[in-house]
Amino acid sequence: MDETEEQRLIKGAQAGDADAFEALVNEYYEVMFKMAFKWCRNEQDAQDITQDACIKLARGIGSFKGDSAFTSWLYRLVINTAKDWYKKQNRHPSSSDGLETAKIDEKVDEKLFAKQVVDEIHKLPDGEKEAMFLVIGEGMSHGEAAKLLDCKESTVSWRIHEARKKLNELFEGERAHG
Amino acid sequence: MDDAQLKKILDNTDVPAADDNARKRAVNMAIAEFKESQKENEKTSQGIPFLSRLMGKTNTQQRRDPMEKARNKRFVYGGMATAMAVVLIAGVSFNQLENYDAGVGGNKTAAHLNKVQFKTDGDSLSNSTFSNISQNITGTREQTPLKTREKVETKQQLAEVDAIYAEPRIAGNERQDAPAAVASIEESISTGTSSLPVPINPPARGRLNKTKESKMVAAKRPMEMAQGIMGGAAPASSPTFSDDNVASRMIGVPDIMPPPDYKDVGRDKFEDFKINPIKSVAQEPVSTFSVDVDTASYSFVRRQLNSGVLPQKDAVRVEELINYFDYNYPMPEAKSEPFKATVTLTPSPWAEGKKLMHIGIKGYDIQEEKPKSNIVFLLDVSGSMNSQDKLPLVKNSMKMLLDSLNPDDTIAIAVYAGAAGTVLDPTKVSEKSKIIAALDRLSAGGSTAGAAGINLAYQLAEQNFDDEAVNRVILATDGDFNVGITNQEELKDFVERKREKGIFLSVLGFGQGNYNDHMMQTLAQNGNGVAAYIDSLNEARKVLVDEATSTLFPIAKDVKLQVEFNPEAVAEYRLVGYETRALKREDFNNDKVDAGDIGAGHTVTAIYEITPVGSQSVSVDPLRYSAAEKVETHKADTDFSGEYAFLKIRYKLPKESKSKLITTPITRDNDMEHVQFIRQPTHLNEFNFATAVAGFAQILKGGQHTGDLSYDDIISLANGSKGKDNFGYRAEFVQMVRLAKSASTIQPR
Repeated sequence: MDETEEQRLIKGAQAGDADAFEALVNEYYEVMFKMAFKWCRNEQDAQDITQDACIKLARGIGSFKGDSAFTSWLYRLVINTAKDWYKKQNRHPSSSDGLETAKIDEKVDEKLFAKQVVDEIHKLPDGEKEAMFLVIGEGMSHGEAAKLLDCKESTVSWRIHEARKKLNELFEGERAHG
Repeated sequence: MDDAQLKKILDNTDVPAADDNARKRAVNMAIAEFKESQKENEKTSQGIPFLSRLMGKTNTQQRRDPMEKARNKRFVYGGMATAMAVVLIAGVSFNQLENYDAGVGGNKTAAHLNKVQFKTDGDSLSNSTFSNISQNITGTREQTPLKTREKVETKQQLAEVDAIYAEPRIAGNERQDAPAAVASIEESISTGTSSLPVPINPPARGRLNKTKESKMVAAKRPMEMAQGIMGGAAPASSPTFSDDNVASRMIGVPDIMPPPDYKDVGRDKFEDFKINPIKSVAQEPVSTFSVDVDTASYSFVRRQLNSGVLPQKDAVRVEELINYFDYNYPMPEAKSEPFKATVTLTPSPWAEGKKLMHIGIKGYDIQEEKPKSNIVFLLDVSGSMNSQDKLPLVKNSMKMLLDSLNPDDTIAIAVYAGAAGTVLDPTKVSEKSKIIAALDRLSAGGSTAGAAGINLAYQLAEQNFDDEAVNRVILATDGDFNVGITNQEELKDFVERKREKGIFLSVLGFGQGNYNDHMMQTLAQNGNGVAAYIDSLNEARKVLVDEATSTLFPIAKDVKLQVEFNPEAVAEYRLVGYETRALKREDFNNDKVDAGDIGAGHTVTAIYEITPVGSQSVSVDPLRYSAAEKVETHKADTDFSGEYAFLKIRYKLPKESKSKLITTPITRDNDMEHVQFIRQPTHLNEFNFATAVAGFAQILKGGQHTGDLSYDDIISLANGSKGKDNFGYRAEFVQMVRLAKSASTIQPR
């Protein structure tokens, strides 16, 4: 979807046009689902979270001001939904029934390592995890991420720093040997 | 490890493609929510000014007075509501209250109640029976508490409120609520332990509140709604209901009878469908459908006839009338092949030269080895259930069902009205008195949030899920789901998902005037359950006691029938009934396509009317030019000339997901008129009776295909084939036909 189309749909939905809203949700469901899945790594949970997020979107579309990219705004919505969701469920995202990254093939070693890294990222505190996802995963600048996370830029930098330190401690040695 | 490497790892996370169903569901719900929010916005802007003033929050532009903050706090509401109730109890007028400072009885009570109130507010999640009810909807104390709290507030506010009292609608509410309020406050005082401090129970909730509360709960609501769907901890989807109010409704509040002049008629909803046409074997040799063991239509029709009117045509589903009766077909021998089909051809009593092909299926009976059951009753206690043939009948039916269960089966009871609540946590049937006490406490009032209730019920069932047992939710309702997720598709999807987890749903319909047959059928069909309509205690006994095993214990699911007719022998056919159960030809072999289920000992009868080749009564003229093409090509290898048709039955065992197939050729041996036909006379009796019922049902539907068949013919046919009729059901049928006969003279079709 090009930008003007996106703009048109958002404007329409904000003005109360149900068709525009439908098109918008349809368009972004996949994106939201991906975000949710990356966050919780469990298909069922991700579905539920995305559904919640869609419902939230119905009420919240009016509060999108257009001062950031729509996807960034959505990202925030989805992550907040996910956090609320887990709070209500009273548990944390679990990876036990999560994704099976390591499929048996010649790259098994590589994949196993990747899975371990992802596992570790998911074990980080929420703040650091979010920062990692936004800055490393989505390629945002610290400033952009800070705006989205509603905190100072320095906080983001600090969290990234902390997270990377932890990951490096865990993996650097192993990688060197491996 | 550098950023690039990390990014690669993060990007490479395998994200499964989003599930299409989940997507549809989410989009549907979001759209529903979106429309809802638009509606609310509209209402807000048009506004009901005096109410917006009261609530203070509807409009963001509204002044922010310092009291507003305090008003939003729960305890203020609670305290004020309590005080109001005290006023009512003490029987003092408002003016008296102002001067009232003696602090004798009234104040003590107030103090006590306040204590209770704070206690509940403090740890509302703790052990209250209703802890499942959403904690969130705090700002929704309804109109009456509103009024109440104003009373104890400052004088200038009182002046403002006085003006509002003049408003007839509020005044009207107040009048209705007061007795209930008094009664249940009194109760909570007398028990002294009640944790239900706000007993006020305004019946005219929906419209008034929605406008006001929409904004307040706007943020919370979607979460609750969604959470309900996901089976989260707080499945209340209605914003219009505070938890305490629900609580008071469920326990202790005496029935608020609807005004005497209120009559709930003409809102019964049935799915509109066309009756099956005659089909030509040459063009469409294969007929496919799903079994149907529901009986709801029969009882509904009976009810209508008993009140002297012919039922609306869409209410008559021929197959359900036929399958209402238990037929004495030969039993299958083993559980592994859970049913047996008996096929008989008899001459059609209503059409010269045609034959009726009865397919009678009898399910394996498991009388001795009754499995354990984990049952959750989900009872509708909304206002519309408030009549003798609804809630009281539900209660009595449930009590009867208790008798037919094993002592270590578990029962839980959830109820729903404007919101949902648990009345009884999973309890062993051996603690019968506890269960009965819980049932007796129920009373009706309020609107219907079936969806939230369903969530809650499934949650209870999951809580106590037993892989070995039959896990089932039994929903008793008049079929009205007017709050929450009203979108049928969503409910359907939800029930379907739960079915896959092993929890089945049965639906018992009650009452008349508001009966939503379509919805109930849909739910039961998707939940692998039975939909029955209960119009009397007798019917309750039939469904819940006599047929308890078949109602509760499935022996096969997704049972589909496919009949392929032999064009050599059969020219035309017509499936009698099963219109709403038709399947596509390709669905037969597709295990993903859901179909009907057969319970232990169930019988299912399907009747085809066929026109043999060469009969005078072929309704479609043969094509002039097609005969030439008929070169007999592959006739050489096998000779099917003795066969009328080939019957295939596909089914799954209850816990399996792959279907099995049973096939039977239908030959001349099955034809009564053929010399080789050997069948015990009792079986013929059964088929004749089924024929009588089929004829009757078709006449009720307009008699398009039944020719000259009259009510009297049916009566004599049925009378001649009543057989043993242990419970008198068949005699009752004859009586019903007589009723229809007299009704039709007054009200000709």
